[in-house]
Amino acid sequence: MRNCPATVARCRILFRSFLIFSAVICQLAFAKAQQNNANEELLVLPGEVGRSGGRLAVSLRGEPKTLNPIIAADARSREVIGVMQADLVHINRATQLTEPALAKSWKISPDGLTYTLVLRKGLKFSDGQPMDADDVLFSFRVYLDENTHAPQRDLLIVGGKPISVRKIDAQTVVFQMAEPYGAGERLFDGMAILPRHLLEKPFQEGKLGQIGSLSAAANQWAGLGPFRLKEYVAGQRLVLERNPYYWKSDSKGNRLPHLDELVFLFVPNADAQVLKFQSGETDMISQLGAENFSVLSRQQNGYTVTDAGPGLEYNFLFFNLNDVGEKAPADLQRKQKWFHEVKFRQAVAAATDREAIVRLVYQGRGAAIWGLVTPGNKRWGDANLSHPPRSLERARTLLKEVGFSWSTGPNGESILQDSDGKPVEFSILTSSTNADRAKMAALLQDDLKQLGMRVQVVPLEFRSLLDRVTQTKEYDTCIMGIASYDADPNSDINVWLSSGGTHLWNPSQPHPATPWEAEIDHLIEEQMSARTFDQRKKLYDRAQEILAEHQPMIFLASPDILAGAKNSVGNFHPAVLEPYVLWNVEQLYLKSGRENATR
Amino acid sequence: MIRYLLSRMAHALLLVIGVSLLAFLFTTLAPGNYFDEMRLNPQIAPETLSALRAHYQLDRPLPIRYVSWVNSVLHGQMGFSFAYNSPVAPLLLVRAKNTLLLTITATLLAWAIALPLGVWSAERLGRFPDHVISWSTAILLVIPDLALALGLLVLTVRTGWFPTGGMASVDFESLSSLNKIRDLAMHMTLPVAALVLSALPLLVRHVRASVADVLHAPFLLAAEGHGIPRRTLLYRYALPAAANPLLSLFGFSIGALLSGSLLIEVVMSWPGLGPFLLEAILARDIYVVIGGVLFSTIFLATGNLLADMLLYWVDPRIRAESASR
Amino acid sequence: MSRWRKVAPWLLVLAVLHGIVVCAGFFAPYDPIEQDRKNPYLPPMRLHFVDTHKHLHLRPFVYAFTLRPGSFDQYMEDTSHPLPLKFFVAGDRYRLLGLLPARLHLFGADNERIYLLGSDAFGRDQLSRLLFGGQVSLLAGLLGAGFTLLIGWCIGAAAGYYGGWRDDLLMRVAELFLALPWLYLLFAIRAFLPLAVNPLQAFFLIVAVIAAVGWARPARLVRGIVLSAKERDFVRAARGFGASDVYLLRRHILPETSSVLLTQTAILIPQYVLAEMTLSFLGLGVPEPVPSWGNLLSNLQQYSVLVSYWWMYLPALIMVPFFLGYLGLASALQESPGAYKIERRSLGSLA
Repeated sequence: MRNCPATVARCRILFRSFLIFSAVICQLAFAKAQQNNANEELLVLPGEVGRSGGRLAVSLRGEPKTLNPIIAADARSREVIGVMQADLVHINRATQLTEPALAKSWKISPDGLTYTLVLRKGLKFSDGQPMDADDVLFSFRVYLDENTHAPQRDLLIVGGKPISVRKIDAQTVVFQMAEPYGAGERLFDGMAILPRHLLEKPFQEGKLGQIGSLSAAANQWAGLGPFRLKEYVAGQRLVLERNPYYWKSDSKGNRLPHLDELVFLFVPNADAQVLKFQSGETDMISQLGAENFSVLSRQQNGYTVTDAGPGLEYNFLFFNLNDVGEKAPADLQRKQKWFHEVKFRQAVAAATDREAIVRLVYQGRGAAIWGLVTPGNKRWGDANLSHPPRSLERARTLLKEVGFSWSTGPNGESILQDSDGKPVEFSILTSSTNADRAKMAALLQDDLKQLGMRVQVVPLEFRSLLDRVTQTKEYDTCIMGIASYDADPNSDINVWLSSGGTHLWNPSQPHPATPWEAEIDHLIEEQMSARTFDQRKKLYDRAQEILAEHQPMIFLASPDILAGAKNSVGNFHPAVLEPYVLWNVEQLYLKSGRENATR
Repeated sequence: MIRYLLSRMAHALLLVIGVSLLAFLFTTLAPGNYFDEMRLNPQIAPETLSALRAHYQLDRPLPIRYVSWVNSVLHGQMGFSFAYNSPVAPLLLVRAKNTLLLTITATLLAWAIALPLGVWSAERLGRFPDHVISWSTAILLVIPDLALALGLLVLTVRTGWFPTGGMASVDFESLSSLNKIRDLAMHMTLPVAALVLSALPLLVRHVRASVADVLHAPFLLAAEGHGIPRRTLLYRYALPAAANPLLSLFGFSIGALLSGSLLIEVVMSWPGLGPFLLEAILARDIYVVIGGVLFSTIFLATGNLLADMLLYWVDPRIRAESASR
Repeated sequence: MSRWRKVAPWLLVLAVLHGIVVCAGFFAPYDPIEQDRKNPYLPPMRLHFVDTHKHLHLRPFVYAFTLRPGSFDQYMEDTSHPLPLKFFVAGDRYRLLGLLPARLHLFGADNERIYLLGSDAFGRDQLSRLLFGGQVSLLAGLLGAGFTLLIGWCIGAAAGYYGGWRDDLLMRVAELFLALPWLYLLFAIRAFLPLAVNPLQAFFLIVAVIAAVGWARPARLVRGIVLSAKERDFVRAARGFGASDVYLLRRHILPETSSVLLTQTAILIPQYVLAEMTLSFLGLGVPEPVPSWGNLLSNLQQYSVLVSYWWMYLPALIMVPFFLGYLGLASALQESPGAYKIERRSLGSLA
């Protein structure tokens, strides 16, 4: 084309108008984007601002089985689901208090029966679909559905009736309870909000349980958590990628999470986890045992291991106080006569060497406990609970008071016998796969030998043990441990209530077998509906004191929470509540430009 | 020969059926079921658990459950896993492939090393090289496989030469094909080494014992007199005569292809059938266990069939006997 | 009797080793179940003859250990605190051979405990536990292996000799036994046993069950040999002379199986002793506080023990002479091959 001045001028005008046009478009688009951002209400997290990018690898002890919160029964699945889903109100694992999550605020009515939650605006699932009150309604409908048998259902029954949910508008939801519930807002922690657009049809067809398998395509599942599914290789690993629609940001306004990818490697056991961490193949490790902690802390090259202090796990010995009836074998009936004697139990408690347990089993990284509430629980410990030191003298006095006496055996050892002259012998059941509790049993065996009792330690495979303790009730005593998942007493309610399934010494009673169990029931039920923290604490303290007096469970020790991370991982703050190191996964980041975790 | 083969296959089918029946029986005998662990969860009520049990038909009588399981096998699903909430067959197949990769490599390697070593040792029976081999296999024999595997792992952590378990690196997908093979080989080295080291002493000792027995035979002396070279003598004349127990052992090797590596897989985090089945056994995921047992039985029957056929083919004395029957 | 000359040294070695284990009470300084909670994971104390002032003592001594302050399991030798070893001391009570009460021990020290092989997680003396542990483990291994081989031998010989449908039936049953998930059966057995059963008895019962199940493998091996052996010329000749089945089996065929059987014996004994490690993982092993080699070794299954406390490996090392003794005995008994014995004497050999 010839450079004709007219054409050139026209070109210039065209070009300029094009520039102006595109500038206007850009402004509009930008404004729209701003508007989008303005429409979104992000939760701003305080704390260190991190670098964006990178891949973090952690190991899982075993494989997750499903991504579906409704059928997830095992701990590994729950760990993975935890980083892919979000809840309305969340318990901050560091402070152990509730804080807003998907709901930006809530109001509790004066009578404590109605909770009104207001959702954030502009929330989107990980596949880009918007989320609103309808999803909340759907989720709770699924959880409460009687034919689905979701494990969450039992948690949503307050005062004997399931809670009811209704929506006021697209951002506001109202929950109605039959009775006031002291720990009300904590109920919502862990209740994942499910995507109605993906799950409503399967739910109506009754096929909800089949959705959410790990090998399904990534676009068939969505959640509100910081990560979404990218890749799954059976038996080996699960790779998650950043959720671009996540609703949290750091204090500088950068959308979280910082990490590009989160990889879960499946390893069969704790020792394999330690190996992978030591060789640098994983970046973080949690639920470390005390011995592995020592091994790792000896040469901390490139990583640091941390002792986060006492956790919420409590280990205890309990007696078979079930009413076994006339048909039970004669020696079990005889042993139960001893077990039912409260001074016998107190004597066993007095002979227990808790300090040795903490030192030999946990290498000092733990705490002796005399009650269900461990030192890791910041608010609910009873300061007035007595912590009597070990005293064989006191044990012997107690035993003498109820008619026990000592004789000498053929090899010169002393044998305790009851008032009928029968030697005191019983067995302690323990799970064969838990090395710590097996050690505790061995220590107790030796302690009680000094009182003249002959104790056999019987390790049983875990399910056989559960069968004996909860079904056939054919056992003498047993050592078990329970890790509370929340600091609030309601998380252990089935241990306290005599009708509870984990009231291990005599589970699922139709009505309380003893007056003190009845009193505990009464106290626990009252504190469930009490409104203020002080009221609840007073009642709970009294319950703890009654338990300490009657000793159906002899509390032994609680391990510290031990974890470790590479020095290149930022914002690593292990907490004592589950999930110990991934609770702030959206804030974790990799420092100093290292993209991968390599040796 | 064909008739023999067909009759053995019929026997194998009977075996599989028998095993499945007994496995069903055994899994019901052991106390506890999959949902028991949920009892300990303070959040779940006992009614939910009974509802779950009824839903999965765990309360129905044994014969009915067996029939519905057979039905599911015929449809290619092999029952239902409680833990994974999915049919058993695809879960098992993926992991069985991984196990076979490991065990086939290890078995071939072990036999390839054991045969020459055993023959060499039998040749020099009672002399110094034989003593060296004897003592080293003896020591290897008394070291438990667990110790071997753990020892290799500790070595690897200290030196960093090999990965500490698993089958693939984290960034496996992004590697080129050549690097993928290299990555797989690196991950396979330790488990294969452990498997070979634990199988080797048994094989070497048996080869040595049976070849040593045969080396005195007159027919070998005659063959040597004919001027047949030593290597041919050993491998084409002596070895087949000594093959009898070795073929049975080979049959065992085949039979153990799926089940023999359980311990090593668990220790080295190899994603095979071993750790998967162990977890299922401990969790009482019974259909997974029965499915795994069935798979292993098929391999076992195949191995024994192979051993019997080889025995028949290689040892003319057995052939003569059945011909004269 | 050159065969006897080859076999005798192995027998002697085994007799001495077993003698020490049988008299464990005398050779071990302490009661194997006694805990010493102040001294967990103590490393072995070294024997010294020369003290820090360079004086030579004829009586060996060790130094007591003190805990390094601030640590859980790091100890230092306390050179100001020597403990001389005394021999033939009176110590903890025990029963020699389970019958005679005695108090004499080979060595010990006054007042303090000496740990020549270190201590375990509860401060129990590893040397004592090792010696007493051998009693349980060797008994279990020998009984189990013997039982298995007896059953396997009989069944394999019957299957191979009679052939036909009997062979088919027995071998199918053997396959069945090899294929079944015995783990479940073991769980079931353990669960059905009343808790009041002495755990040691429960353990031996489990060993019996494993032995009864494990016959399938030796049976197949023996069957193969018998199948082949019964068609040999000399067997046919003997049969032609009117020999009965029993005579043929006893005199001609079964000796052929000796080589395989001896190899299997030597292999099965350590296998059964070590199988206890797996059993204890499932709660079916020897229970606390009774020591056995299996449960001493199962400590090594923990990574932390593997890398931190090297003396826990020592039980494995101590077991090696025993197993090598069995292997050597089996080899020595096997040196003269069966069928070609006659030929060898007259014609020389290839080897």
